[in-house]
This record gives sequence, structure tokens and C-alpha cells, in this order.
Amino acid sequence: MHEIGVRETVQFAGLTFNWETLVMTWISMAIVLLIAILATRNLKMVPTGAQNIVEGLIVWLREQTLTSLGPKGEFLCPLIVTLFLFLIVANWLGLVPTMASPTNDLNTTLGLALFIIVMVHTLGVYMKGMHYIKHFFQPFPIFVIINVIEEIAKPITLAFRLFGNILAGEILIIILLMLAKWAILPSVAWLAFSLFIGGVQAFIFTSLSLAYLANAVKDSEE
Amino acid sequence: MIDINATLIAQMLNFLVLVVLLRIFAYKPIVKMLKEREERIAGSIKKADDDAAAAEATLKQYQEQLAGARVKAQEIIDKAEKRTREDHEASMQTTKAEIDQMKHAAQQEIQRERALAVEKLKGQVAALSIAAAEKIVSKNIDAAENEALIKEFIDQLDKDKIGDLPC
Repeated sequence: MHEIGVRETVQFAGLTFNWETLVMTWISMAIVLLIAILATRNLKMVPTGAQNIVEGLIVWLREQTLTSLGPKGEFLCPLIVTLFLFLIVANWLGLVPTMASPTNDLNTTLGLALFIIVMVHTLGVYMKGMHYIKHFFQPFPIFVIINVIEEIAKPITLAFRLFGNILAGEILIIILLMLAKWAILPSVAWLAFSLFIGGVQAFIFTSLSLAYLANAVKDSEE
Repeated sequence: MIDINATLIAQMLNFLVLVVLLRIFAYKPIVKMLKEREERIAGSIKKADDDAAAAEATLKQYQEQLAGARVKAQEIIDKAEKRTREDHEASMQTTKAEIDQMKHAAQQEIQRERALAVEKLKGQVAALSIAAAEKIVSKNIDAAENEALIKEFIDQLDKDKIGDLPC
């Protein structure tokens, strides 16, 4: 039985790793890659079957990215596409019996959120220079306090929202299963709802990342 | 439950690897294919437009040619009609002239013949007159006999029928 809150850890080069999270992450990555490769292995001008789905997803995410970031954001499209596909697969992986979502570990969600935020500020400074740093001190220098709190809050909210939703979903699945043999209907209903939550959370995480990136990449004149 | 450890770094790296792999295996080929498709559609649409324009131009050209041909045909017909009419008129005129000429020649001929006949007659009348005078002189006749002689002479004239001409 799944032990809630207890993580199997491994030590490697003096560092501690959550083994289950890593394995589940690799499985998710493998699934995403497998789907992507299978669907795009034999690209046709007139799309059929799996190509339609993957193509549609990528086109949709690409459009989202380009509308949020403008033409300069083209190079970030693969990042956004990967983020969404990985998150949705990771969120749904926990719904498969004996599997767990890599996103039920704060290390994963915070890792991704920090990755995004570091990227936001790096790109902001790289693409806008002093102008980007200056905007933290506007309209008055004192606002830097609020702005810094906001910037710190961004990755934390991003990470905890996803982590909380997925972990809660998985805990409830386990609890509903433990509760009683007759509780099949709530179990199934919750599973369906978790499916929905997984999709929604993946979308929210991606959309917010895009919004933060837009702040740094998009020209203020546009 | 929410212990942060080195997994965080590992997850960042995992994600980075996935981004790179997906970019190579899915994103790039799909975007390339999308571009190709876009170009192909744009090309097809452009080609269709061009074809339609070309067809229209050809049609216009044909119509113009047809109209030109029609005008030319009408011109040819008109010309032919005109020429026929002219030919007809010319031949009529020639014929008329010929007839006039023939008429004129005939009249001249008649005139000449008549003049000739009158001349001949005049000559004969003179000769006869002289003959008659000789007869009168040689016979030495009186007035009555003279009259008889002249009557005879004139009767002879009638008998010989030389006075057929209307003189």
C-alpha cells in the first residue's frame, strides 16, 4: 500500500534524491517522447490519426505562445509545448494504479517554477536590459518591496498550486479506496474529476508561465 | 512530505533534457511541415488565381479575335458586293457604249449609202436628161410631139424602176 508522505530516498554523490519521483518523471518523459515520436514519425501534408492530435496540440500551444509573447517569443515555443505535454502526462500518470505523479512532489513543481522564473528574469535582463530592472522601481522606488515580494510569490504560488492539487487528488484516491469496498462510485467520480483537474492544472501552470514570460519578452510598445 | 532536496535540481535537468529532445523530435519537424503545408496552400491558391486570370485573359482574347473576325468577314462581304456592283455597272456601261457606237455606225452607213444613191441618181438623171434632150433636138419636133416624148421618157423611168428611193 502506498504510504502517504513517506518518500523513498536514494543517496548519490552525497545528495539525496526522491527515487520514486525520479522514476515517475522518467516514465512521463518517456511517454511524452514516445507519443511525440510516434505521431511525428511519418508526417504527412494531409494529417491523419495521431498526427492530428499532436499537431493540433502543438499548433494550439504555438499560437498561445505567439499571441502572448509576440514574434520574438518564437524560440520559447518548444519550452511551452514541452511544459504542457509533460505536465499533463505527469498529472495523469498518478491516476494509473501503482503509479504516482511526479508532480505530487514539491521538488518537481518548485523545480519547474524556479526554472521558469529564472528564465523570466534572465530573458528580461537579456532582452530589455536596464529597462527591465528599472520597471521594478516604478512608479516610485519604494515599490521595489512590493515588486520583490510579488516576484518571490510567483514561483511559490505556481509550485504549490500544482503540487497541492495533484497531491490532494492522489491522497483522496487512496483514501476513497481504503474507505470501503462499496465506495466504487465516489472513487470513479473522483478519478474522472482528477482527470479534469490534471488537465486544468497543466493548462494553468503553462498559461501563468506564459504570462510571466510575456512580461519579460514582449515589447512594451506592442 | 514537502522536504526539498537535490531532486529539485534533478527535475530541472530532466525538464531541460525533455525540452531539447521534444524540440528535436516533435516540434521542429511539425513546424517545418506546417510551413511547407502553408506554402503549399498559398501556392495552390495563387496558382488557382493565376489559372483563373489566365483563363479569363484567354477568353477575352478569343472574344476579341472573334469580334475582329466578324468585322473582317463583314468587310469582305461588303467589298465583294461593292465590286460586283461596280463590275455590273461597268459592263452595263460598256454594253451601252457599244450599242451606241453600233447605232451611230449604222446611221452613218445609212447616211452614206443614201448620199451615194442620191449622187448616182443625180448622175443618171443628168445622163437621161441629156439623152432626152438629144432625142428632142434630133427629131426637131413640135410642141405636141415634145410633150409626148417627155411623157414617154418618164414612163420609161417608171418602167426601169430606178426611182425606188424616196427622193
